[in-house]
Order: sequence, then structure tokens, then C-alpha cells
Amino acid sequence: MKILYSWLSDFLENPPPAQDLAAKLSRVGLKVEEVAKTGASFTGVCVGRIEKIDKHPNADKLALVDVNDGASVMRVVCGAKNIAVGQHIPFAKVGAMLAEGELKKAKIRGVDSEGMICSAAELGLAGYDNSGILVLPPESPLGADAMTLFPRADWALEVEMLPNQGYCLSHYALARELCLFYGLKLKEAAVDASEARGESVPVEIAAPDLCPRYGAIVLKGVKGAKTPEWMAARLRAMGSNPKGNLLIDGSNYVMYELGQPTHCFDVAKLAGPKIIVRRALPGETLKTLDNQDLKLDPGMLVIADAERPVALAGVMGGAGTAVSDGTDAILIESARFNPPTVRQSAKATGIKSESSYRFERGTDPELPIKAARRLAGLILQAAPGARVEQITDNCPVKYQSPVIDVDPARVNAILGTGIVDGEIYACLKAFQPALKDAKPWKFSVPSYRQDIEMLNDVAEEVARYVGYDVIPSVSRMPMLPTTATPQWTASAELKTGLAALGFSEAYNYDFVSAKELKACGLDPAAALEVKNPLSSDFQYMRPTLLAGLLKTLRYNLNRGRESVLLFECGTAYARKDAGKAEEVICAGLMYGEFPEGGSWTGGGSKAGFYHLKGVMARLFAGRGGFRFEKPKKAPAYFQPGLCLEMRLGAGCAGYAGKLSRAAATASDLKDDEVYYFEIPLTCLAQAGKVEFWQKIAKVKPVSAFPQNWRDLSIVLEERHEWGELERAFSGVQDLASARLVDVYKGKNIPAGQRSLTIRFTFSSMTGTLNDAEVGLRMTSVLDKLAKNFGAKLRA
Amino acid sequence: MNATEWKEKLSAIRDSFSVSSAKSPAENPEALELRYLGRKGELALLLRDLKEIPLEERKPLGALGNTAKQEMEAKLAELKGSAPAQAAAVPGLDLTLPGNPFPTGSLHPLTVTMNRLAEGFLKLGFTMADGPLVEDDYHNFEALNFPPFHPARDMQDTFYVDAKDAAGKLMLLRTHTSPVQIRALEKAEPPLRVFHTGRVFRSEAVDASHSFAFHQIEGLYVDRHVSMADLKWTADTFMKDLFGSGVKTRFNPSYFPFVEPGAEVDMSCIFCKTGSGRCPVCKGTGWLELMGAGMVHPNVLKGCNCDPQKWSGFAFGGGIERFAMLLYGISDMRMLYENDLRVLKQVQS
Repeated sequence: MKILYSWLSDFLENPPPAQDLAAKLSRVGLKVEEVAKTGASFTGVCVGRIEKIDKHPNADKLALVDVNDGASVMRVVCGAKNIAVGQHIPFAKVGAMLAEGELKKAKIRGVDSEGMICSAAELGLAGYDNSGILVLPPESPLGADAMTLFPRADWALEVEMLPNQGYCLSHYALARELCLFYGLKLKEAAVDASEARGESVPVEIAAPDLCPRYGAIVLKGVKGAKTPEWMAARLRAMGSNPKGNLLIDGSNYVMYELGQPTHCFDVAKLAGPKIIVRRALPGETLKTLDNQDLKLDPGMLVIADAERPVALAGVMGGAGTAVSDGTDAILIESARFNPPTVRQSAKATGIKSESSYRFERGTDPELPIKAARRLAGLILQAAPGARVEQITDNCPVKYQSPVIDVDPARVNAILGTGIVDGEIYACLKAFQPALKDAKPWKFSVPSYRQDIEMLNDVAEEVARYVGYDVIPSVSRMPMLPTTATPQWTASAELKTGLAALGFSEAYNYDFVSAKELKACGLDPAAALEVKNPLSSDFQYMRPTLLAGLLKTLRYNLNRGRESVLLFECGTAYARKDAGKAEEVICAGLMYGEFPEGGSWTGGGSKAGFYHLKGVMARLFAGRGGFRFEKPKKAPAYFQPGLCLEMRLGAGCAGYAGKLSRAAATASDLKDDEVYYFEIPLTCLAQAGKVEFWQKIAKVKPVSAFPQNWRDLSIVLEERHEWGELERAFSGVQDLASARLVDVYKGKNIPAGQRSLTIRFTFSSMTGTLNDAEVGLRMTSVLDKLAKNFGAKLRA
Repeated sequence: MNATEWKEKLSAIRDSFSVSSAKSPAENPEALELRYLGRKGELALLLRDLKEIPLEERKPLGALGNTAKQEMEAKLAELKGSAPAQAAAVPGLDLTLPGNPFPTGSLHPLTVTMNRLAEGFLKLGFTMADGPLVEDDYHNFEALNFPPFHPARDMQDTFYVDAKDAAGKLMLLRTHTSPVQIRALEKAEPPLRVFHTGRVFRSEAVDASHSFAFHQIEGLYVDRHVSMADLKWTADTFMKDLFGSGVKTRFNPSYFPFVEPGAEVDMSCIFCKTGSGRCPVCKGTGWLELMGAGMVHPNVLKGCNCDPQKWSGFAFGGGIERFAMLLYGISDMRMLYENDLRVLKQVQS
């Protein structure tokens, strides 16, 4: 909210300087984001006229100008390009105080200058053309003080208002805050005290819960009430656009001044005599001041005359009863409305007004009549023929200020401080001068502070009063045991593992487009949809991390990168009816060479399926019950037959394989050499719930005797997979490992068959195996292979 | 051997050493060491001969011998230091060629920051808590003392999704990590000290300092006799842990519906230190606003069936992107979501 220093100063005796006030406000939680100077504060500058322009004898870019200030003609040196004979200009004489300081007599390039023709910047004026000297209107009287042509210097403070600061939404209110917390003296606003001539206006409040108070003043003879220039200037500085009609501008002025929104109805247009405050009836409509046709509903509160709604309470008045230049009698409305009702109306109609902004945040119950009188007074001043006819203050629900028992020890307990009783009492006293010093203090909350409801609120006021720095940094917290969540631990382990294996971690947004989903072979209808997306690019919550990773892959390939190893840990979403609503997944992809970039020594090759499988095996190494299996049903974005499921005990720990050609093509990739994996964390986290000591596998003893090994080359039909063979080796006596050394097809191997070379390592716990013993075991291996797989020794 | 002979011998050894050690190209210093100072080296043997000389003459000779030994040692050390790399001796081997590449990946700056925070808070006795990203209105707003039609709801522009909660209201993407406070209080009785880091969403346009998805840290401590001093200590300790022992923290009055009194936590600017001048990070104020905090609002406790007469607590929250940007010197938040490998690969954890 904008606050004008001059306006704020109206309510302060001996106001401190603007910068000081800004600091003081910030200190008590009214953060001043900007202090901008407006208007002029120069002296010694008068209106002059350019009589003659000569060339400077010693400088091409300077001119010698004769300036007439109404009394005499003086010669000055001027460098501006926009000077012309006959112009009225601001002329600063020697000794003038300008933005940069005092103007001294000067000799420029050998010629004496008796003053200066000023630019807007030199006068300290903001918002003017600053490319040359400031040209004044031709009617500006010669010799007149130029200050009279500009608004006086002022400062506009931009104060950030928090939602609970409804009590601060005016100049008067901020002055009151300053007085409370800094002991400044408050000056009250001038309020008209006229007595009513006639009877009070009949006001019927049909919904007192939504309108606890309705004040009204009827003024007659207001015709032609023009907005005075000083008021228009302040409204302009506030960023409001004054209309020139005091009945409209004055209402805004009072709102900025006191924080109470008011509204003027044209009495002649009201179907009188009664004002009714009621809920809107179904089907009722209202054309607002800004010509919107609103459909009203019973959730909204309206002001109505005998026939129809004439205003949406607290939000905006109707066009039909609006004041105009011809208006002679007005009814000033100044009421208090239920904040949630006003907000509901504003939300439903999409109208955000300065009025609804204030009502939503709660207005002072004791303010309506004061504000109405303030507005009446301003109108009476400007329209001498005007008079107060009727005054009404209908208050069906009297405001009861809550009384809070304040025990200083409890205030200190909340704040963790040792503030002495006297200081806490002084704070309360600043709010409530009549407070009696008997503990617990009976603190009666001022009407304008409806946000103060309990002791915690009082503690905050005390901290603001004393200064938040009073709170020390001391801990009395006892020790408590802690744990990380199993999911966090699982994801941290995967992240560290993948980073060590060369993968870089990405963070993508959770939102994807229908196009991206379709590219992954997924149905957008199955994804969770955002009701109010920023754009169609962000319409769905990602059901997989694949789309984001592909986007990241493309981004990096487009920037000249050839190898990309990426992963991400994030949430994947599903429609709730699809079972689990959200699940954290760790997913990643490989593209290009592995390790990245290869090496001059050789090593490094194009990433392929077995690279990915190796990475997964490394990632899960040491986890009991881990194995690869052929998936019963792999996600749609994997290439069929080129995907493995990872199992951990009885659970699925994810999938790894080659990206489907369709997904690669739809994602604008040159080829489909993308290897992708995804690991849902649920299964890993479940495994992580086992206690630490139980997770640890006991170390097996190793043999003290030398081990032996034999290589075996066999030929068998291709349909027999390595996985089957491997299982067959179990049970061979003293077999420590069977490692695949080579796979060969081609010359000398019959079609449909392949040769495998396997290194068998034997180790016995009881002694060194001799050749004969090893041979015996190898025979048993070969027998198994021959019997189960028809394998033959390779010739 | 008498003293004179001994001295002459010593001087001969010194001469011979200085000739040998000054040769160009230099002799191998190890060989020289062996010849003169080794167990059977010339000087060592001479020193051993001292025992043949009468005791009264021995002392000054010993000193002479030692000086010579020290000089030789110094010269040898010098020779060893300036000796050309042995490698040059192996022809055709360039040791400056790059080594075989081992994979080098990286963690994201936000992960590194959250890991650091988690480590710190676990040590301070905060246990880790969790909550869903797709939340209901109750946990995201109402239980946190944002009544329906309260202007505080304007503080957080909300995304809604096509799903309904048990009360028939639209589900939403949580706008802050604070619902985890409510979930933690529903799950366990006080005393309770928890923290949470995770993603949140606000319907805002993306720019250098805003994003519609970002991360927060949340902390909550509920016990008997919790005070704002405990909160300040916690904030101060964790800021120092993250940004160095030299930083200061201060509280300013602020407002969040779920705390009272409320405070904003500022940290002294880590870029300009003084607060003077035109620091672009703190805008010359000397302070950076990093977190919101306060005492848990009694309404929040009541809503979670905790008697506010018996229990009190503090809560705090802050944006992790801001921490990461300060730590890594990133000035545009969008960089954190672009995933440019040229940036990511620079991240040290």
C-alpha cells in the first residue's frame, strides 16, 4: 500500500523525517519496500523568459542566453539544445537550492553565468521529460516563484501489507501504530460535528450477522462540489485517478485516510425512503458502477432500496444510483460488513476493489460514523450550500472488545525472554491508557485490533513494542532420538550410487503436456489433470519421470553434448481411482558413450543394454534378494523383449531396458539408443525398514588354501540362456564362481548355436585340490551341461 | 691418528665432496649420500675414528665433523630437490596424458542442499517427517488456521487437480510444506520434533526468483515450555551450519496464519558483510530474508487435539532454492530446472 509522508504527518505532532519513519515502520513489521520522492523542494528559482540567444565565443555546444526574470535581464551560459527565444523557463539565480545543492556563481569557458536555466532533474522533479531544459507553460507569470507551479516535495512509502494487517490500511492507522510503538503524539482527523436537521434515515438490517453496523448521513445541496486540487494531488500520488467530482473522490480520500470505505448514493435515484441491508434474492441482478452486469445469489449481501439491490455490500455500488455532476442530495453509506461475506462476494463476482480489500481484512467497528462525518465535512467545506439533513447509526450488534488476562510471566514464557513487568505494562498501556495495574492485567483489546484474540497475540505486540531483538538465542530443548524416513534413505543411497557411476542428477517439473504423455505411449486420460494449469504444456501431473528426462536429454544434445547420463528422483502421480496416488521414483537414462567421452587408451564404448544392466547390478549390489527377471508386463515405453524387471525379494524394484522406438521418434531423437530405467522407491524403502543390524549380511569365511581354476569352452543351442546355465551350476562341489569369459558365434560354430567360454574357480575349505580332484568336478559340470542343455566341448 | 691428521683427512673429504657435488650433469645424490654419509661412507668412518683421539682434543674435532656433515646434508637435500624428473629417463612415456576415465556424475544443487539440511537437523534432534504433495484443503489450509474466505489464502496461489477429498472438495497441490506439521501432530503425541524437505507448488509465472514448483524445509517442535528463544537458537544454529559460523540471524515481526507470534528470519548478508553500498543480493540492507517462523498458533494445536494450555511449540519454514542459489552463486532460479549438464557437472557435494 502507498503511504504519503505528508498525509501521514497530518496525524503526527512533530513528525520525524521520511526515511526515519520508514525505518520505524519496518522495525515493527510494516515493511517499507520503497521510499520514492515526489514533488519539488527547490528554492530561489523563478519563472524567466528567454529574450535572446547568442553563440558562446569559445564553445560550439554552448550558448549565451539573455533571461528576463520580470525585473531585469541576465546573461547565462546554457548547453541545452531545446532552448528557443520566447520560452518560459525555470531560472535559478545564484544562491538557489537545487537538487544537487546550492547554485554558485560560475565562469563557463571564459564567460560569467549569472544563473542557470534548469532541467527537471536539476529541480529534483521526477516524471518529466529530462532531455533538455524544462519548458514551462507560456502563461506562467514572469518572476513568479517556480515552486508554486509544482506539487510540494513529498515521499511515497510503499508498505508491504500482510493479510492480518487490516488495522493498518490507512494513513491514520499507520500514524496510530507509530504513536503506539514510538511514543509519538497522535493528531486526530478533523471531523464534522453537525447535528442532523431531520429525522434519521430508516435503515433496516435484515442480516445483522453480516452487517453489524450501518451508518448513513444524508447531505443536501451538494451540487457542483468540486474536488479541491490538494485532494486531487494526493489521490494522484496514491495512484488513484481523481474524477473531479468530490462525492466520488472524497469517498476514496476518506478511505485512504481513515481506512473506512464509504459510498455515496444519489438520493434522487433511490426508491426511498428505506435502505435495506439483506442477502441477495435468487435471480437478482445488479449493474455496477463500472457497468458490469452481476448475477447475485443469496451468499452475497446487498444494499437495497424499496425495489432492487443498489450495491453489492462492501464491494461496489450500482450504476443506477451513482452520483453524477447533477446530484444534489446524497446518502453517505459507512458500514461494517462481515469479512468472509465480502470476500465471498468479491471472489464470486471477480471484482477486487479497494473497498472489498479493506472489508475482507476487517474494519474498525467504531469507525463508520466518524468516517461518514469526515466525508461530510470535506463536502461541506467545498460546497458552501450543502447541509447535513439526516444522520443514522444503526448498530444491531454492538461490538464487545475482548478482555485478555495478561500474566507477564506467561508472556516471557512464550517469548523466552526476561522482559521486566514494567515494560510489558507500558506496552499494554500504550494500547489502553486506562489499564489498571492489577495482575493479571485485564487487557481490553482496542476495537481496531480484532486480530488480537489471545495471549500469543499480546506476546507479539510486546515483542514489537520492545523490539524482536530482545529474544535471545538459547536452547532448552532436550535430546530426542531421530531417524530419516526409509524412503529418504533409499533415495539418498540410489542418488549417491548413480552419481558415483557417472550419472548427473536432474530436477524437472511435475507437469507435462498431453503431447509428452502420448510420446511415451501413455494415455492422458489416465493421468491426474490440473484444473487450473498455467498452460496446456503443464496440464497433467507426470505419471512417469520419462518425459522430463527425455526433454533434458534433448536439451543437452542440442547443446553439443554427445554422451548423456541422467537421473532424477521425484514423484510420479496417478489418478486416485488408479490405486496409489503418488509414488517417488528414481529414473534415469544413458545415451552415447560410456564412460562418457571414452579414452585415448581405448575403453569406452557406445552405451548399450549390458551397460545399463551392469549399472543396475552395481546399484543394487549387496542387497539381499536382488535379481533380474523377464517382466510379465513391462511399461509401454520400453522396447518389447529388451527390458528386464528388477526384483527385490517378493517386490518389484523397477525396470531397465531400451527405450521403445516409438517413444524415441516421438521425442525427436535421432536414434533409439536410449537406455532407460525406473526404480519405484516403495519396494526399496520397505526393505529399508529392516533394522540396521539385521540388514547386515554375516561375512562368510574364506578358504586358507590356494584356489584352482579351469576354462571350459562349450557349444550349445542358442535358445539356452546363460541364466539357465548359471542356475545349473549350483550344487557343484567346491565351486567358488563360474564367470562367463566369452560368447562366440560364427565360423566353426553351427548355425543356431553359440560357443560359451566359462572360467570355473574351485576352492575348498579343507585343503588344496589336486588336478585329479578338480578334473572330477569339471566332469560333473560338463555332465550337467550335456544332460540339461545338450552342450558339447568345443573342438 | 692424531688430531692434525684427522683434520687434514676431514678437509680432503670435504674437498672431494664439493667437487663431486658440483659436477655437471650432477651425480646421483643418493650415490653421493652413500659414499660420504652412509654407514660405511667416508665421513661416517672418519667420525668413528674420533674415538682414537684423546678425549680433551676430541670435542672441537667432533664439532667440526658435525658441521661438515650438516653442510653435506644440506647440499644433498638441495640436489635431490632440483633433480630432474626421473620420468624423463623413460623415453616415450608422457605422464601428463590423461588417466583412464572413471565415471563422474553429480548430485543436483538442491539435493546437496537438502542433504546438508537433513544432516544438520537430524543432529539437532529433529526426526524426519513426510506428507503427500497432492493435499486436501484441510491439511494445506484449514488446519493451519487459514479459514475459508480468509485473505491469507491470497498469499499462496493454488493449483487444483481433478480429484476430490472426503469432504467433496477439490484436492490441491500443496502450496507449502506446512501440512506436514499437521500430519506429524496427527500421527504422534508431543513431545515431537520433526522436519521435512520437499516440493511445493504455486500458480505463479516463472522468472529469475519464482517458480511454480519449488522446495521448502519445514520444522516443528512441540513440547512443554517451548519458547521463541529455542526457535532463535535453532534458526541461528542451522544458518551457521549452512552459511558459516560468521553469519548472524535476526527476527522481524511477520505474519503466517499458523504461528503467533510470527517472525521473519533474516540472515546477515554473506556477500557484502557490511550492509553498506549497493549490494545486489541484499539491496544494501545487509540482511537477507530467508525464513518464516513463529510459535505454533494455539488454534493449530487445538485442531490437532493438543491442549494449548499444556503444550506449546515453534515452527519454521524456508525456500530451499534460495539457500542453494546463495550457496552456489546462482542468480536465476530457472537454472536449477534447466538441467544443463555443463552446469550440473560443476556441482560439488
